[in-house]
Amino acid sequence: MSFKKEQIPSLNDEEPVRGRGRGCRFCSDENIKIDYKDIALLRQFVTDRGKLIPRRMTNTCQTHQKALVTAINRARMIALMPFTVVVQ
Amino acid sequence: MLEARPSASRDIPGRKRHYETVYILRPDLPDDAAAAINAKIRKIIEENSGIILKLENWGKRRMAYEVKKQRKGTYLFWSYLGSAGLTEEIERNLKLADACIRFYTVKQAENVDPKSFEASFNDEIFSAAGTGGVEEPEPVVTHEERGDDYDSDVIMNDIPGADRGEDN
Repeated sequence: MSFKKEQIPSLNDEEPVRGRGRGCRFCSDENIKIDYKDIALLRQFVTDRGKLIPRRMTNTCQTHQKALVTAINRARMIALMPFTVVVQ
Repeated sequence: MLEARPSASRDIPGRKRHYETVYILRPDLPDDAAAAINAKIRKIIEENSGIILKLENWGKRRMAYEVKKQRKGTYLFWSYLGSAGLTEEIERNLKLADACIRFYTVKQAENVDPKSFEASFNDEIFSAAGTGGVEEPEPVVTHEERGDDYDSDVIMNDIPGADRGEDN
């Protein structure tokens, strides 16, 4: 079983949020407000299973990652976002 | 009127705290019952010298997980200014209401000047928020929904490298 390098899906192509070499999104664009009601934004920082994506993957700075986690946990409390997703 | 609760030492007289409260009502609730809860909350805020800034009805939407055996719920969002003890009174009333399945209050800021806020609240908005039961559900695609559809071909094709196993 050989390992085919070209078949590994590139995270850069699929997920615009991720990728090395880019800085924190919230530092570069101050218009983006982290809000627990903005589900479309928060969803980019969790996996399909609803787990938090580590900030080394998204290049979010520590300040904004902390704010993100607070917002995601608040969204989870009012059932806007899942705690976990069970994939069959 | 609330019994006077001592405000915190960091509170500046004349300033207020900015709160946001979201509560979820049962989806099968008749309109008048939803309006009754809204009226109760409004009365509490106004009697305790609070200022309602915003009231939004997000409609009947699918929740990310089951809450009290319900998959859907009517979301109501309040943004208001108040002083110490106001949220306690609101949450006490929501706890007593059977129709309310979940509530959550967030303090957005403290010591804000009430004059610096523009209130977009009137009776029209208030009566519109009471008719949440008939509103069309918003298209909310949660990850759970995506998880449910994992078997469908369309979704499978979108997963990069989903058919990788065949080549090896």
